[in-house]
Amino acid sequence: MGHDTDQPLQKITSEVSRRQMLTTFGKASAAVLPATLIAGGSASADAPPTTYLFLNADEAAFIEAAVARLIPADDKWGGALEAGVSNYIDKQLAGAWGAGERLYRSGPWQQGTPTQGYQLPFTPAELFRTALDSINKELSQTGTPMAKMTADQQDAYLRSLEAGGKDLGGVPSDVFFAHLWECTLEGFFSDPVYGGNRGMIGWRMIGFPGAYASYYDLVDLHGTTLCCPPKSLGDDVHGHVHENPGIPARLP
Amino acid sequence: MAERLKPVDVVTIGVGLTGSLAALELARMGLKVVGLERGAARFTVPDFQSPAIHDELRFSIRKGMMQDNVKEGVTFRNSSDQTALPIRRWESFLPGTGLGGSFVHWNGQTFRFQIADFIYKTHIEQRYGKKGP
Repeated sequence: MGHDTDQPLQKITSEVSRRQMLTTFGKASAAVLPATLIAGGSASADAPPTTYLFLNADEAAFIEAAVARLIPADDKWGGALEAGVSNYIDKQLAGAWGAGERLYRSGPWQQGTPTQGYQLPFTPAELFRTALDSINKELSQTGTPMAKMTADQQDAYLRSLEAGGKDLGGVPSDVFFAHLWECTLEGFFSDPVYGGNRGMIGWRMIGFPGAYASYYDLVDLHGTTLCCPPKSLGDDVHGHVHENPGIPARLP
Repeated sequence: MAERLKPVDVVTIGVGLTGSLAALELARMGLKVVGLERGAARFTVPDFQSPAIHDELRFSIRKGMMQDNVKEGVTFRNSSDQTALPIRRWESFLPGTGLGGSFVHWNGQTFRFQIADFIYKTHIEQRYGKKGP
């Protein structure tokens, strides 16, 4: 990213004239954001290729094709694929969450009511692997893997998973779809340090500012639009505390 | 062996939003108050400092400050004719742990005020009439 994200909020806003702050969101953001940030697709053009740690080639091909339909690109913004969501999902499945951290995995095992939540024995990694294996086997028999389908065919297939009623090696298809959809949202909107939301594309699309510490110095600026570039956790990893010198850390 | 401490007037179980406010009021009345917290100690710096504390995935979605239900799980049912089953992943209620109350366990999130919140009396009267529903 070519922009300077280390600027403190105060500095960014002080460089913006009050008149600019009071213009409409679209105009204001265009006035303030560096040109490299405005084109949504530009972040993907030079994005590094994904190195998959968990997903095998067939699994990755399905995930890439699926997330590209769940949050598709348009003429203004890249979609989930361009945002690196498949990379995010891969890293989540390869890590502690995928291995079932904070997932209670002892008995009793039985199907519960919907209000009793997830009651399957699979860790997230097992759930994805099992379901994807079943899906790819099924699609290889039909001769058209997900990645080779047209967009309409892909949508129809995803809808069939979402509708449920299909057993994917012990994983109900609607449960798999729900996990895939949750992970796609997480990968598109969580901090880029997790491997998705490349170029903070999800945040810029919805105007979310990211991990700013405080808006204390802006509290009295009523009727204004915050229009500084979003900030990632990764923009500030050197132990620096975003503090406002005007607010004492403790009572004098 | 249990150590017997000097008795106090009031002990609050937890010193979160509720416990700390109650303790403050009771202490102002002249009572001797001790507040109990459990779990790891956490402090504003470095545990709650920016930007790490703004990690919504870690804290809000993955429940980073909630009790580890693999070690301390609970079962749940809506009514006594159901079989209680383990809550395998926190969803409907969230028991926090460690120093700090629900305000930090919940990632310090408060919902954005709605326009009606600033004109509450007017809003309610317009919607339900002056005498209520």
